[in-house]
Amino acid sequence: MKKTLHINIGNSITLIEEDAYEMLTVYLNEVKFHFAKSVDNFEIVTDIENRIAELFGEMLAVQQKKVISIEDVQEVIRQMGSVQDFELSDDEPAEMYSEGPQPTVKKLYRDTDHAMIAGVCVGLSHFLDIDARWVRLIAFATIFLGGSGILAYIVLWIMIPKAATKSEKLFMRGEEANLRGFANSYLQPFVKESRGFIAEAFHVLGTFIQGTGKVIFKIVSGFIIAMSAFGLVFLMVALVALLGVSDSDVVNQFPFSIVNDEYFTALTIGAFLAGAIPLLALLLFSVRVAFTDRGVNKTLSFVLLIIWLAGMGITIFHVAKISSEFKENAEFAQTAMIRPYQNFTLEIDKTRFFTKEDSVKYHIDTNNYKGKKILYSQYGGFDEQDNVRLSIEKSNDQTVSVYQNYSSQGSTFEDALKNAQNIHYRFVQQDSLLTFSPVLRLIHQAKWRHQEVRLTLKVPVGTTFYINRDINRYLNNYNIWDCHHDDRSDYVEMIMTADGLKCKHEREENKEQ
Amino acid sequence: MIAENTQTQMRKGILEYCVLLIISRGEIYASDIIAELKSARLLVVEGTLYPLLTRLKNNGLLSYNWVESTSGPPRKYYMLTADGKAILEQLDMTWQELSYAITTSKNK
Repeated sequence: MKKTLHINIGNSITLIEEDAYEMLTVYLNEVKFHFAKSVDNFEIVTDIENRIAELFGEMLAVQQKKVISIEDVQEVIRQMGSVQDFELSDDEPAEMYSEGPQPTVKKLYRDTDHAMIAGVCVGLSHFLDIDARWVRLIAFATIFLGGSGILAYIVLWIMIPKAATKSEKLFMRGEEANLRGFANSYLQPFVKESRGFIAEAFHVLGTFIQGTGKVIFKIVSGFIIAMSAFGLVFLMVALVALLGVSDSDVVNQFPFSIVNDEYFTALTIGAFLAGAIPLLALLLFSVRVAFTDRGVNKTLSFVLLIIWLAGMGITIFHVAKISSEFKENAEFAQTAMIRPYQNFTLEIDKTRFFTKEDSVKYHIDTNNYKGKKILYSQYGGFDEQDNVRLSIEKSNDQTVSVYQNYSSQGSTFEDALKNAQNIHYRFVQQDSLLTFSPVLRLIHQAKWRHQEVRLTLKVPVGTTFYINRDINRYLNNYNIWDCHHDDRSDYVEMIMTADGLKCKHEREENKEQ
Repeated sequence: MIAENTQTQMRKGILEYCVLLIISRGEIYASDIIAELKSARLLVVEGTLYPLLTRLKNNGLLSYNWVESTSGPPRKYYMLTADGKAILEQLDMTWQELSYAITTSKNK
């Protein structure tokens, strides 16, 4: 069994075995190289290829088979003659080949194969042996010297011939015009069709627009590369920061307070991989596609995919595990009796509870803050969950009480109950002043499992409240903004009636009517 | 080595002359030229003919027509131009001179 290939030779499609194809390729390349110095190389080689195609056709017909074998190619080469045979009967004495290796001489040509416009800059770069982009940069800069660069470019375009034949291309690069130099480039198109200057100018205009497209593509790619590199650096910093501070205060803050300590490292790394690998892949892909001709390395892609899947696996596993700890709900309640007053003032405690870590974090020198209070901003940040709710209701007797309901989620009922018990919440009564804390705290290193405190303040009918406006966002069943209150005051006056809490002045207005 | 070189030079000149002679008889396809040259035992390998034909064509001695072929791609059929005919006449004269020169050299 042998592999066969379809080739197009002399405008006819021929089936050829792989080894035969290799032999034919080598032969044709030798032939092309032999005639490369000739101006008519293209025509001669085409004639020879046509003849070979014809011979193949005859062979297939005579032998009644479908595929050209290596023996057929050998027969064709024998009939056509080898390059050595050509040399013996060359038109001109073959000085180029027979008089030893040619010294490497560079000649100035325009390189239309790698041209941005007409190949002047890249041609110069070959001649001067420096990178084309520097020549282009300088050329671009000269445009701003009164446009002299453009004029110089057009003059050079007309003056410098373009490298049309194979050996001209080799001379342009200063490569030795021999079979080795040839082998380096034999897969490139043999020769470009020649055009007049005007036709070339129009053609170049077309390709230049394509070139501009490429430049824009490269700029976009560069942007993607920069963004993904920035994202990667950010993720790495985050990773180091999270792993480095895993035993400090940040883990007690939402959303990190959700994650169990024992999962923290694994989940952080897993999430890092899940996030970083696509960025890395995007980065590598953009670099490869935009700035090199190579495709994306398959092995590398595969390795990246495996690592990414591993990262995703770890993340999903832990997220699922943590999610399972939200499965059950438990709550318990207690009622605290409060000394009754005719008027109550409701306040929210805006002073911040500071841990030792906090005072380090915010550079708080406790001596400096003697007698001063640090206040919560009214609208807190990310770490303020909506976990404290206050309702005000009418009590059925003359007592005043605060009903406190603590609830939490957990993997089992017992677990949920334990989480609820780890809630630390306090409100303080100072005579008729009731001060509520805006947040609950978790004690015993408890994790955030949607712990909630729901407070119900029960008062008898006729009790008057001075409610601080800041309480409104914790208030469940009333909106004190509904009362027309004095904007200069921080307090809204309300009274408990048989129908519930009412705004005091509205009630008075009603009475007047 | 010198003998080889001289042989090659002689062959080259005569090959060109023969090619023009064969084409002068009418439009002809490259493969048929090759077949004739082979039967004349002048041409060893086909590959050498194509550069020669191209050069003669570029010098204005030959022209060709594309002719459709029943099997495969169209073929180039070569013919002599007016210039080619004039040069062939010159070559004919040269050949007679050379032939005389050789006969004379050998038989004296």
